[in-house]
Amino acid sequence: MGKYVLKSLLQIIPVLFIVSLIVFILVRVTGDPVALMLPETATAEDRAVLTQALGLDQPLYTQYVKFLGSAIQGDFGQSFRYNQPALELVLERLPASFELAVAAMFFAVLMAVPLGVISAVKRNTFTDLIISGISVIGKAMPNFWMGIMLILLFSVMLGVLPVSGRGGFSHLILPAFTLGVGLAAQMTRLIRSSMLEILNQDYIRTARSKGLGRMVVIVKHAFRNGLIPVVTIMSLQFTSLIGGTLITETVFSWPGLGQLLVVAVNTHDMAIVQAAVFVIAVIVVVTNILTDVAYRLLDPRIKYD
Amino acid sequence: MKKRQWTGMWITLLAVVMVLSACGGKTTSTNDGAATEGTGSGSASTTLTIAAATDIESFDPHNNNNTSSEAVLVNVFDYLIKNDSEQKKVAGLATSWDQVDDTTWRFKLREGVTFHNGDPFTSADVKYTLERVAKDETLKQNSYFKNIVEVKVVDDYTVDIITDGPDPLLLNRLSKMGAGILPAKYIADNGFDAFLKQPVGTGPYKFSKWTKDDRVELVKNESYFDGEPKWNEVVFRVIPEASTRVSELLAGGVDVASSIPSTDIARIEGEADKKIVKAPIQRVLQLIFRQTEGSITADPKVREAIDLAIDKQGIVDSIAGGAGIVTRTSVTPGNFGADPSLYKTSLYDQEKAKQLLQEAGYAEGEAEMTISVSAQYKEQAEVVAAMLEQAGFKINLDVLEASAFSERYSSKSFKEIFMIGIGNSLFDASNNYNRYMLEEAKGESDYNNPEVEKLLQSALVNMDPAAREKEYQQVQQIFSEERPAVYLYQMEGVYGTNAKVNFAPRSDEMFYADEITPVAQ
Repeated sequence: MGKYVLKSLLQIIPVLFIVSLIVFILVRVTGDPVALMLPETATAEDRAVLTQALGLDQPLYTQYVKFLGSAIQGDFGQSFRYNQPALELVLERLPASFELAVAAMFFAVLMAVPLGVISAVKRNTFTDLIISGISVIGKAMPNFWMGIMLILLFSVMLGVLPVSGRGGFSHLILPAFTLGVGLAAQMTRLIRSSMLEILNQDYIRTARSKGLGRMVVIVKHAFRNGLIPVVTIMSLQFTSLIGGTLITETVFSWPGLGQLLVVAVNTHDMAIVQAAVFVIAVIVVVTNILTDVAYRLLDPRIKYD
Repeated sequence: MKKRQWTGMWITLLAVVMVLSACGGKTTSTNDGAATEGTGSGSASTTLTIAAATDIESFDPHNNNNTSSEAVLVNVFDYLIKNDSEQKKVAGLATSWDQVDDTTWRFKLREGVTFHNGDPFTSADVKYTLERVAKDETLKQNSYFKNIVEVKVVDDYTVDIITDGPDPLLLNRLSKMGAGILPAKYIADNGFDAFLKQPVGTGPYKFSKWTKDDRVELVKNESYFDGEPKWNEVVFRVIPEASTRVSELLAGGVDVASSIPSTDIARIEGEADKKIVKAPIQRVLQLIFRQTEGSITADPKVREAIDLAIDKQGIVDSIAGGAGIVTRTSVTPGNFGADPSLYKTSLYDQEKAKQLLQEAGYAEGEAEMTISVSAQYKEQAEVVAAMLEQAGFKINLDVLEASAFSERYSSKSFKEIFMIGIGNSLFDASNNYNRYMLEEAKGESDYNNPEVEKLLQSALVNMDPAAREKEYQQVQQIFSEERPAVYLYQMEGVYGTNAKVNFAPRSDEMFYADEITPVAQ
């Protein structure tokens, strides 16, 4: 296990190298930050001066070598917009995104586990149909639309929850719920099918025929095994929650990584885009390793060499 | 029987969980809700909360280039000269100013002013501030200040500002972002990074906290030279999504919300304690033509036909929700050199447009041209295109994402027409017209008129305001005939406010917190 973790950690290096190269090229071929930084009335001379000052007149490979050299030392360059180290700005935002992702995950699990188990246990009944219906709607509803509707209902009409921004626990409820619903819908379906499969297994029948209570069978035998695919989807979803909460963060003015990235892309703040994508890549890789570890803990039969 | 029990248990559990989470939410939110209201703008509390769509870039007034940054920073940093709400120059940190010769201005500074950290404000601060922005080419405001050669300290409260040639715009430059006075000693002692984390100015409000993309919090400067500020605290919130900004206003979380979309105007006006206020801003939406030889828009008849084919008032009413003023010049009142005879008026005559197009030798659908536009003005461009097609043109609409538009703009690679809203932070006609000078126009519009060139060159260095104003007015008259551009309308800023504050928006889009007053209750 320890050896496996070490090996995986070493594999991060080439992955991050490739990610850095792709992002570097993408942000440079998609537009010119200088044009966005200067006023409309700036002259060609002003532009040339700024381009040179930012080192954008150098050939692409020189720029990349320079970038890579500093990146290894943890320096992802200065943000054009904020004139501050990009990595610092990205790391500053992580707690906010992390908080939102964890809360969304919490909501999702809270909704999906009971619903998924119920619909598996009560398969092909009216209850199952209702739950399936709800999850299809939950999955199909666009995030931003739901966010706006929730704001209208709970903040504008009822006045019980704040509209936007990051503050206490109450600020977290609407955005986390918005993000959690889509995820919950997906997890409900997954838990249902995974539980269904397990409930038909021989060992469940054996357990039942031993005279164990139904509750014990479901919770102790079936549920634990049914969790494995759920862990997978949770880890995959968690990484996308960290990096992909763009729309929800924008709707709720949540000052997280997603919002930073949206503004950076709009203003062509290359250093931030590079640093943010890099950090997200690190999170994805690390989460994948943690997922593998969690599998093993759940199912001792899974071995890694 | 057993089965039923099971289901019952699950449902009970689910119900308990749901109730618990709902309860948890409600109790906390009630507390929080009360707190939010308290910080909103109750009669007892004196916090002013303003919501804007974009965050400030930093607390470095020299390295910012957006209006929403300046709108916040004017409360922390003072200029030597201020623009009042009518854009007249009034004393700021300087109490008087005189022109010594063509390239030298002498400023008398206000005595007894202190920075937020207690340091006295003197000539040394002016020298440090203006020479920094004039000499550091990497600063975003540098292009506005690079013609300042030197700031000479005459004594502690007198400075001479020397320019590299006659500069009729010096006073305009000194009253805009980039001229915010910084504390020389504080920065020398602590370094610029420390300054950015804990900025210090002379303004009516002191820095308290900045959470990026969330809020800037300022507190009252008790020892402000111009009397005690009105609010204990001023909070600028960043809410990029327009519908969220409107909701925040309706829910009472903010006192003033800027950039209200035209579709939400009626909804806000329908609320008893909410208001919509508007003011013209420094931005005129316009079509700029390529007059390069061989280009279809090089023909003055074609340009006139385009002008006549567009119903500008119609666009204002339909797309802008009425928030616009039609104009035939981009130098609107409040700017130096404005020609009022061309303001609040527009030409529209579809029949004549069709006729002109025929005279120019084009049959229906033969006059084909491309209009490039940034996505933010997509709707206006679509209406313009439809109107032009009705008059017999064939239009290719080229809608570009903002940064793609900027790149094409700076590389001057648009085809026949590009549509753009141009602002004017200097409040001077030169800002509108420099692009039509021979050198600058090359490759963009390729506009070339020796008479205009002579007038513009002269106005650039003319230190006699009356003569200079005439020159720009002459240029406007020529432009209204020659149409190097067709102006659609001057935009208006649309704000929503709650009934607890009096707010009259400014044409420069600044939020001077002390110009916003609480309504006595």
